[in-house]
Amino acid sequence: MTDAALASDAAQRRGLLDWLLVFSLPLLMIVMELSVYAFAPRVLSLRNVVNVLDQSSYIFVFACAQMMVILTRGFDLSLGAAVSTVSVASALAMTGLAKTGSPDAVVVAAGLATGLGVGALVGLFNGGFVSWLAINPFVVTLGSLNICLGLSTTISGGSPVFNVPDVFSRLFYNGVLIPGVSIPITIAIVIAVALYFLLNYTIFGRSLYIIGANPRAARVAGLPSRRYLFLAYLTCSLLAAFGGLMLTARTGSGEPNLGGSLMLESIAAAVIGGVSLQGGVGGVGAVVFGALFVTMLSNSMDLLEVGGYIQQILLGCVLILAIFLDRLRRTRT
Amino acid sequence: MSQALPRAATPSFSQRLLRVYDSVGFLPVVLVALVVVLALFVPRFLSLQNVLNVLRSSSYLVIISAGQMMVLIVGGFDLSVGAVVPLASVVSALTMVWANGVAPGQTAVVVLLGVLAGLLSGLAVGLVNGLSVAFLRVSPFIVTLGSMSIATGVALLLTNGIPVYGMPKAYVDGFGRGLWLRLPPAVYLAALIVALVWFMQNFTKMGRYLYAIGGNFHAATVSGVRTKTYLVLAYAACSLLAAVSGLGLTAQIGSGQAVISAQLTLESIAAAVIAGVSLKGGVGRVEMVTLAAFFLLILTNAMDLLRVDPRIQTIFLGLIVVFAVALEEIARRRTSVD
Repeated sequence: MTDAALASDAAQRRGLLDWLLVFSLPLLMIVMELSVYAFAPRVLSLRNVVNVLDQSSYIFVFACAQMMVILTRGFDLSLGAAVSTVSVASALAMTGLAKTGSPDAVVVAAGLATGLGVGALVGLFNGGFVSWLAINPFVVTLGSLNICLGLSTTISGGSPVFNVPDVFSRLFYNGVLIPGVSIPITIAIVIAVALYFLLNYTIFGRSLYIIGANPRAARVAGLPSRRYLFLAYLTCSLLAAFGGLMLTARTGSGEPNLGGSLMLESIAAAVIGGVSLQGGVGGVGAVVFGALFVTMLSNSMDLLEVGGYIQQILLGCVLILAIFLDRLRRTRT
Repeated sequence: MSQALPRAATPSFSQRLLRVYDSVGFLPVVLVALVVVLALFVPRFLSLQNVLNVLRSSSYLVIISAGQMMVLIVGGFDLSVGAVVPLASVVSALTMVWANGVAPGQTAVVVLLGVLAGLLSGLAVGLVNGLSVAFLRVSPFIVTLGSMSIATGVALLLTNGIPVYGMPKAYVDGFGRGLWLRLPPAVYLAALIVALVWFMQNFTKMGRYLYAIGGNFHAATVSGVRTKTYLVLAYAACSLLAAVSGLGLTAQIGSGQAVISAQLTLESIAAAVIAGVSLKGGVGRVEMVTLAAFFLLILTNAMDLLRVDPRIQTIFLGLIVVFAVALEEIARRRTSVD
């Protein structure tokens, strides 16, 4: 009797702990915001909240890109460098055309086509080597990282490309599409819905989870693993390219150093949200939380006037803590 | 089968050559070819100054890559080596400046303290990496990504990004920039380390256990290998070697720098991968890694001498890493039966 009572008690306690672990990230976010509020009330002002949402929509897009390949047990180290190349290439195309006096629509279309074209090329390279030659994604994307780094600095001469047409910035940054909702947030929501549908309701999306969870089973089951793997890398690079275009619209220039820390931040956001590096686990919801958390953390530290170096140290600690919590969560459930 | 047997009994010269090629791979061949071509067509390549230059810069990469290799062999990754180098650099320089203030003139003590502090800072990062991977069983990718961020932050915090000057002259001129028996001291250091790692890999229990852990972690555990201890040892050794390299670079530059060699992490992994170290673990030999590190730096040096734009060089290096691995993969598929 007492044994049974003890057991059920233990089960209950374990249940509570499990729930705590499941909700650890949202809870952590609330605790963080409230404790920052005590020292810097601005953190919960409407302006700051909108600012955080705006900022996090960029990270969200990049973390979504990263998630597509992390689901298949891969990752994309070239993401940041690809973003820089996209930014510079599209800015060069747009400024070049704008100088010849082409109409706005043509200029923007050329910018979009160039940016997405560069993204597609990177995706082809990464996906081709990873899927058809079965080379480790680390090596392949390390290679494309270097290639993109070289390309972006070469074609820009190492300095920013200024005078990106205003119409491009209006379209992807400060214009008004839906009153009251900024364009980056609108784009992030559209991407979130589209990816949610893709991952949950299409054969391609569901297959990515199987390929990540058990590659051999996927192959035995007759899934066209190679094609899907290739498509995952292509989607990743296209999403990253789109994010790169959004950032270019925000800065109003093509920046060869735009992607500097994006590779780490995108992986960090995805992993902190709960996308597992072992593959097969994660989704759009996880990335939303991860992107929000990373943005909130750096926003809070900015408001508390924490120095950049200490921020870097804390981000490292949070990353290790997050992966440890994730580990606990998965071993218990 | 019946055909293979008599052939094996009387190997012809070309078959024997093929067998040697099979055991060492294509890297030495490519390396020799590269050196011959460069010696013939690039005038300054064989000048004494240039050879010393290549030897010195290769030594640092060889040391780091040897460490990276150990971690790769146990199936891990170390992204933090590129951050341990500046950390060790800054910590050792600051310690020497401090010690010089406390005990001026005692050069030997000052240098010893600085070197110890630098090595300890590296060891600390390695222990964090190793303990997290072994006992918390979290992904080495993320752990070392985190410790990279932490180590870089600490190095910047300690110095505010400003170089630390004031190390003893003997350390900088004697060790960093001097020549011992006509060679840079870093070369002897690298040779010693490669010899030690080679001995460890071939003749010690630890060497065999590292391969076993990387080849099949579960099997190693079941057979009674203290896997966790050896995992920690591999990560600690890797960071320690990165710190050694950082100390050498500091002596050469003549100041402690919080921002040096951001590329070293990628280069060390590239060298290991070109040398045939498997990212899945269980495979890798230090002598091949040494050759690969030389290969990478000779190539860089040749491009420098030929005045290739450094930005284009980056593109080349990226392509070479991918194609080296692709070639090996294709060769493996052709020879494997399935």
